[in-house]
Amino acid sequence: MITVKNLRYKYPKSKDYVINDISFEIREGEIFGFLGPSGAGKSTTQKILIKLLPGFAGEIAYQGRPLSSYTDEFYEDIGVSFEMPISFSKLTGLENLQFFQRLYRRTVELEPLLKRVGLWDDRHKKAGEYSKGMKIRLNFVRALLNDPKFLFLDEPTNGVDPANARIMKDMILEFKQRGGTVFLTSHIMGDVDELCDRVAFIAEGLLREEGPPRDLKLKYGKRTVKVEYRENGELHTHLFPMEEIKTPAFFRLLQEKDIETLHSGETTLEEIFIKVTGVKLRD
Amino acid sequence: MTNLKTLLPGEFDRLNKYGIFKALFVTLLLWVFLAWFLEGEVLLQFIPLIFLMDSVMMTILLVGATLFYEKKEHTINSLMVTPVTENEYLLSKIIANVLNSLLTVVFISLAVYLLKGVTYKVWLVVPAVALVTVAHTLIGIRLSYSAKDFTSLLINYMVYVFLFFLPTVFAELGLIEQAVARFFILLPPEASGLLIRSVFAPVEPWKILFSYVYLALLSIFLFRFVVKPQFISYVMRETGG
Repeated sequence: MITVKNLRYKYPKSKDYVINDISFEIREGEIFGFLGPSGAGKSTTQKILIKLLPGFAGEIAYQGRPLSSYTDEFYEDIGVSFEMPISFSKLTGLENLQFFQRLYRRTVELEPLLKRVGLWDDRHKKAGEYSKGMKIRLNFVRALLNDPKFLFLDEPTNGVDPANARIMKDMILEFKQRGGTVFLTSHIMGDVDELCDRVAFIAEGLLREEGPPRDLKLKYGKRTVKVEYRENGELHTHLFPMEEIKTPAFFRLLQEKDIETLHSGETTLEEIFIKVTGVKLRD
Repeated sequence: MTNLKTLLPGEFDRLNKYGIFKALFVTLLLWVFLAWFLEGEVLLQFIPLIFLMDSVMMTILLVGATLFYEKKEHTINSLMVTPVTENEYLLSKIIANVLNSLLTVVFISLAVYLLKGVTYKVWLVVPAVALVTVAHTLIGIRLSYSAKDFTSLLINYMVYVFLFFLPTVFAELGLIEQAVARFFILLPPEASGLLIRSVFAPVEPWKILFSYVYLALLSIFLFRFVVKPQFISYVMRETGG
């Protein structure tokens, strides 16, 4: 759906490239996670993809056509949820959404969306009086109100309580099931692991790794099985290479010992993030 | 330009909700209050000053305040990822300011007529005030581009007043020689003042014509080569990378 080839970008007053020759593809109907530490170039890439930053080098195509050839119709197709709360503070939540809704040809009903994210009862409250989580949920609804085909979500659940984050994640998955495509950036690796079909890691403007989370976990994980068991009151650990789990020694251990835990050596996205980008997650 | 019909009512709705209309109305009442004490020729000199202050000073402050709020609340970023074009956005600001200035013309004209029985050719004030407001809305937007916050916007505003307004005042006080002062028509506030004063007092026709052409060309230049090209970089500034 979006193809990026040899993308390079540097800000007008900067000597160095923020994005340095990256290429990737976002396929139709998938959730694509774009991950990296702060300042790695995630937001810059998103701004380029949503046509807010001109002057880049390389090629970007949306549905087979150069992105630069699109005008207003591109924005009819996409929904964008920025990381920071965005709303006219003196207007109510509903007034904010109604204002933006009038700018689109195709729109959806607001009531079901607002009810789903738990803002319906507060729709007549001024947006400036909303909590941070409520403002982020309002951002999310604002991104969906034009019935987009493509969603750009920047840290969509950051600052949202777990119950509402669950609802938002379900809505993202339902959007995908209806054929929608999502470009997602997040520091919350649990969300990324749960939502994304494929992820790409960016650090210092370079694309360091790309692939489905499962494949990356296999690639970066250890092909081992760790067995913990208790014997004579003492905890014992035995590590088996994956190739040895069909051997009698492994089965004998399972049958004869009082097994407490059994873990494969599969790694987490968080560990891959640290390994690939060389930066620890902030939160 | 289809989105203007949404953007314009939105502008007025926000001017109302953010209390800016109230501030403008209080200013208008103050002008009327001052006009109450004036009579005859002095009043006829005071009325164009009101229109000049409103279409130059208030316009710069008004557009600066709305841009400041939109930047602070990041709503300008959100607008730029809708089908709204840069032209539509900038035009909505210009038209909203022109309508505000014309409301001032109507309000003040009605007030001085009802209170003092003073009449003048309002239909000649309208194009002058409209053009002056267009030029100064664009100047206000450009000043906002260089401002990091509202305080620095006010500093930019004061610098503009100092550089472009005060020379005319000094010339009228005889502090600047006439040989130099005749070039002050190139200062936007002076050209603006000439246009508005020409409705109330005799002004050489070439000066009126020059001021109209000059302010129109200045507006086109500012829109085409200054305000529009720098708009996106202004929107994207301070949003992180």
